[in-house]
Amino acid sequence: MLFDRRTLLRGAAAATLSPRLARAAVTDASGRAISIPEEIKHVFAAGPPAAILLYTLAPDLLIGWTRSHDPEECEFLGPGGCDKPEVGRLTGRGNTTNLEVLLKLKPDLILDVGTINDTYVSLATRVQEQTGIPYALLDSRFDAIGPLYRKLGEFTHRQAQADDFARYAESTTATIKGRVDKIPEQSRPRVYYGRGPRGLETGLGGSINVETIEFLGAHNVAAERRGGMATVSVEQVLAWNPDVIITIEPMFAAALKTDPVWASVKAVQNGRVHLSPRLPFGWVDFPPSVNRLIGLWWLAKALYPEQFPEDLRPLTREFYTRFYHKTPTDAQIDSLLTGRA
Amino acid sequence: MILSGHNLTIGYRDRVVGRGLDVALATGDVLALLGPNGGGKTTLLKTLLGLLAPQSGEVRLGDRRLASLTSRQRARLIAYVPQFHVATFAFTVEAVVLMGRTAHGNLFSRPSSADRAVAVCVLERFGIAHLRERPYTMISGGERQLVLLARALAQEPQFVVLDEPTASLDFGNQGKVLREIRALALSGHGVLFTTHDPNHAMRAADRAYLLRDGIRVGEGATGMILTKAQLERLYGTSVETVNDSTGRTAFLPG
Amino acid sequence: MAVAAAVLVAGLLLALMVGRYPISFAELFSAIAGKLTGHAPAVPSTIDNVVWQVRGPRVASAALVGAALAIAGTAFQGLFRNPLVSPDILGASSGAALGAVLGIYFSLGVFAIQALAFLGGLLAVAAVYAIGGAVRARDPILVLVLTGVVIGALLGAGVGMVKYLADPYGQLPAMTFWLLGSLASIGAADIAPLGIPVALGTLMLLALRWRLNVMSLPDEEAKALGLPTGPLRVAIIAAATLVTSASVATAGVIGWVGLVVPHIARTLVGPDFGRLIPATALLGGGFLLLIDTLARTVSAVEIPLGILTALVGTPFFIWLLASVSKTWS
Repeated sequence: MLFDRRTLLRGAAAATLSPRLARAAVTDASGRAISIPEEIKHVFAAGPPAAILLYTLAPDLLIGWTRSHDPEECEFLGPGGCDKPEVGRLTGRGNTTNLEVLLKLKPDLILDVGTINDTYVSLATRVQEQTGIPYALLDSRFDAIGPLYRKLGEFTHRQAQADDFARYAESTTATIKGRVDKIPEQSRPRVYYGRGPRGLETGLGGSINVETIEFLGAHNVAAERRGGMATVSVEQVLAWNPDVIITIEPMFAAALKTDPVWASVKAVQNGRVHLSPRLPFGWVDFPPSVNRLIGLWWLAKALYPEQFPEDLRPLTREFYTRFYHKTPTDAQIDSLLTGRA
Repeated sequence: MILSGHNLTIGYRDRVVGRGLDVALATGDVLALLGPNGGGKTTLLKTLLGLLAPQSGEVRLGDRRLASLTSRQRARLIAYVPQFHVATFAFTVEAVVLMGRTAHGNLFSRPSSADRAVAVCVLERFGIAHLRERPYTMISGGERQLVLLARALAQEPQFVVLDEPTASLDFGNQGKVLREIRALALSGHGVLFTTHDPNHAMRAADRAYLLRDGIRVGEGATGMILTKAQLERLYGTSVETVNDSTGRTAFLPG
Repeated sequence: MAVAAAVLVAGLLLALMVGRYPISFAELFSAIAGKLTGHAPAVPSTIDNVVWQVRGPRVASAALVGAALAIAGTAFQGLFRNPLVSPDILGASSGAALGAVLGIYFSLGVFAIQALAFLGGLLAVAAVYAIGGAVRARDPILVLVLTGVVIGALLGAGVGMVKYLADPYGQLPAMTFWLLGSLASIGAADIAPLGIPVALGTLMLLALRWRLNVMSLPDEEAKALGLPTGPLRVAIIAAATLVTSASVATAGVIGWVGLVVPHIARTLVGPDFGRLIPATALLGGGFLLLIDTLARTVSAVEIPLGILTALVGTPFFIWLLASVSKTWS
């Protein structure tokens, strides 16, 4: 009889997890049936999107963040934002959590928010088998934020609060989408999304990086190919000649203004280079979670300034108070909106 | 000119190979270095060449200390013919011989027409001018040895030092090389070579130096010093002599 | 040799003509003529921009980097007496890679990243030389090679560590793209930091090329032929490292050029370094120019240079090993 890790872990799991009296059978977004305890006190977020989502709805349940936050990020986070431990990530690119440490933390549920595909489903199943902890996989697609919150509310028995968040998200997206749908094709700008130090990494058609941009009906110049992220050359961007450039990289935004190489691009000439705010989480791309909701207003304003005259500041204040549990000061909001904060 | 070593203690960083050695070689003379393996022949050779620093004592060239010369100055006075030449790249014979002219140019110079003329000249001297364009790796062992000799002569040195010049040659080529060694002396060079074969020393050298376990056990004119008794003591084994009617002696291992 | 140079110039012009941004031959001609004569070009400023700020620098960099890597490979092959040696043998690429990923990790500016990469390459080789020199041995070359392997492995582990700690959403992709080699972001400002070290190192190696023949002999023979092998070795390593570090700092890690191009050159002009070094520089420049042109025109998305050179280099190398080669014994 050989002691392999799996049996050892399972034994340890059985020993450390105290028996729950009542358990509910639920299905997660991938269709897997999982059995979760009636009472949930600790949830392990498997990656940054899950952590953010959980923090917004139920910060007290979050065991820890995948990476600890910088002081400038902490300024915008309420209680539980920066006093929780760093626990590593369990999924996606680069697994840094030790499974035994995970067991020691005694979570009632592991939450993962991301793309639903075979890889992640099999990962979820495997971790669940190894540790005995229910592993719920939820869909991070931007147009499914409402159902996302409701599902999470179901798991954590906070249906009422979840419903609030879901309705906020749905009404926001409905309002914005409603206005966008009325905009004729020709008035929809061609957008280049640039990341990386030189701004030459971009998201191809359908990639998660440009999800909100494409959601708003703009034309992603890189969408002639579908896929994930890719590198392009300066010449290619010049050939595309986008109307608008969106980036989260302050150095790239600065270079666009001064570097003669970029001077001939329409977006640069018309001053339509937009640097996305990024505290405490990016407003456009990473991590791909509910943080992008406030970014949707910002993006809509950048792409269709006439149709979106709203002042971003009260919107920001409301979003941050509700979702990040801390009301930022006016000064903080102003600095945040420049993108350089 | 005289190349001399005075009271040399020779060896490497971790061990001493020879002590108290005095050697002298004059231009126009041929000196053969004999002795069993591990006795210090190659070490002494390299010390006299300036490739290895003596641990004590000094090597002099004329009235100057060898150590006071730069590699370049040294190369214009002493040339080295190694036993093997490991050819990583298939340089042409001409290219190999031209490398002998290195010490006559400066660091950045390309081979001049004068250099090429010297190269042709030495190749002709050894009768291998027809191999000029051939890659070094595609000629016979004997021809290769001659190319190395030519390279040494291209340095226009006063002394030529050879390490086991006949060791890897076939029987026919051995004689050829020995004749060339004598010819070198006749043209005014001082020649030093190591060998395992006392007969070669007899044929090509004027004087012999016997080295065993790092100590000199004999030195003198080849006719006088190369005797059965001396050789038996040197190699620690019995030696047979063969005499012919004209009084020449040959030695065979016993 | 003159023919080869002419071919390279033709190649450069051809490369200037193709690209993702549509430019006709007439427009290209006007742009070049405009620059040469000092008059305003008869083409829109965008095209002028593309030719002189984007495509021109990129094409020039490709030729420079290709020449640099090839010449460094040739020099090292001579110095280490081994035709299977690449410019990275002393760890220059690994050191530069570590410098670059550290720069990306600390979110430094682009020029800081390049500077760190350049320094990393130089420091790595200096460390290898210092450590190798401290070990007294009969064969200094072997010691250098072994030390280079060890340090290179250590630096590679460092790169792996930094990638592990990097933010997977932002920094890690940037590091990965950089490590695969690319000239996508070259601008006019990059020419000087690349060109000056490459020019210096290349001039030095060109000047020393006849001595390189002798340096490829065993150390004792080279000394006996009159060369100060110690200082010369330092000079050659320094020159080759200078060009390699500048190339890697600018273009990332591009393998195979320094290994394969010297061989092709050797089959064409023979092993004499007097002819080999210039031939290799021209051939290397042309080779990478071709590869980079493919990398940037085949699709909208850039293909990393390191991948293309490996795809081309590996089968070629296998063919080289399999065929009876008379250029090395």
